Amino acid sequence: MANLFDLELVFAQIPTILQSLPVTLELTAIALVIGLMVGLLIAIIRTNKVPVLTQISIFFVSFMRGTPIIVQLYLAYFGIPIALKYVNFYYGTDYNINGIPGIVFAMVALGLNQSAFDSETIRAAIQSVDKGQIEAAKSMGMSGWKVLKRVIIPQAGSVAILPLGNSLISLIKGTSLAFTCSVIEITAQGKILAGKNYRYFEVYCSLAIIYWVITIILEQILKRLETKVSIPDEVPERDSNGKIIKTKKIKKSTRSLKGLPDPGGV
Amino acid sequence: MSLVEIRGLSKKFGNNVVLDHVDLDIQKGEVVAIIGPSGTGKSTLLRCTNLLEKPESGTITIDGKKYELTTKSSKEKLALRQHTEMVFQQFNLFKQKTALENVMEGLVVVKKLSREEARKIALEQLDKVGMTDRIYHYPKHLSGGQQQRVAISRALAMQPQLLLMDEPTSALDPELVNEVLVTIRRAAQEGNTILLVTHEMGFVKSVANRIIFLENGRIVEDGTPKDIFENPKSDRLKEFLININMLEGLEYSI
Repeated sequence: MANLFDLELVFAQIPTILQSLPVTLELTAIALVIGLMVGLLIAIIRTNKVPVLTQISIFFVSFMRGTPIIVQLYLAYFGIPIALKYVNFYYGTDYNINGIPGIVFAMVALGLNQSAFDSETIRAAIQSVDKGQIEAAKSMGMSGWKVLKRVIIPQAGSVAILPLGNSLISLIKGTSLAFTCSVIEITAQGKILAGKNYRYFEVYCSLAIIYWVITIILEQILKRLETKVSIPDEVPERDSNGKIIKTKKIKKSTRSLKGLPDPGGV
Repeated sequence: MSLVEIRGLSKKFGNNVVLDHVDLDIQKGEVVAIIGPSGTGKSTLLRCTNLLEKPESGTITIDGKKYELTTKSSKEKLALRQHTEMVFQQFNLFKQKTALENVMEGLVVVKKLSREEARKIALEQLDKVGMTDRIYHYPKHLSGGQQQRVAISRALAMQPQLLLMDEPTSALDPELVNEVLVTIRRAAQEGNTILLVTHEMGFVKSVANRIIFLENGRIVEDGTPKDIFENPKSDRLKEFLININMLEGLEYSI
């Protein structure tokens, strides 16, 4: 029964796995941006009921939500080169199909998958914006674009931030499937490691720890973002220049932490 | 020439004719109140004036510039809307912005003033409505009356040629109505041209210099408060005034 589970190895191989962390993060960041952009676009198309584009959007969202992400990754990985071959053949172009790095396919597939889910979140958030405030902005003389930028996006954003955070967290974990497009991110790196020493269980333990820690960090960032965009419960105190003075509560707690007497009041 | 000339304004909701070829002239500095039974198109008339509703026909001339109210060009819509400002029944303050930011918003985004200039104007306007001590409050920290006072200063800060007010006190608790009426009265005394829909007859009597009685999408009577409240000509207006207890039943003749 010697060495059935090598706990030391679980932690010892984390640095090696982390060498591929930049790939995971890059993949996540770009898929996030694609997801938000395309998602916002689809949401706007569907809220304004743009003819033709609405039908295409509904079809797209239905397909993306109705098929597993791993299938979508394979479709991108095999489909895009085939499409390019056709383009090369019919238009006489000379795109180098083999020159496209695998990560591009993964970015496209994950990004579009995200956009389908994000579009529904964003659409719901846009619909939650009070019509009266949109009318107020319009009657002020703001153009449609400015109303979107100044009123709809800030308000919808504060509503959408929680569910979008959710979808970002699931995206991070979705990147673990990118190995199908021959992208070596952390899960792939782990599998390669385990392939050498046959310590599969230990590697998956290491991966679990890494993903969990990343998610905890993300949760903290999202929490800060959320307090930043939400309207404070109490009227914040300001100095003469209008800068917010940190609330009394925080001051009090730091004082008591330092063992200083509480001055009481302001 | 009148500051505002509305001609042939018609609006239907489905088969329901809400406004039926309304013509209306407003002189500079006039405070015009629209009264009438509910559902007669008072608010719609206001909302068509700045194209929050799309009328079937009509033109408006403001300050010598003529606009088709049926226009599809967003450029023309924006140009028209910059002559007017609107105060809403539900205040419609931007809830993510403080009172000060609410007033600055139009100045910075639409009039493209610098933040310093906008801030200066906004502070002046908020001071006029007595909100200086609450400039950093968000709408949810303000009472209805305070929100409406901020909304009025937001509208006045833009220096509109025509101020539209759509039942500005209807959503308020009775004890908060007065502070808003005081604010509107001051705006009127400062020489702003105001088109106002309201049910506050006592207020209309003392502030408006002209009253329009609208019924079934038509202007039935148009006159000074004295004409309207003391010598109503049409039976329909008499009936309306009796219903709202502004006229003794005895004077009602069939």
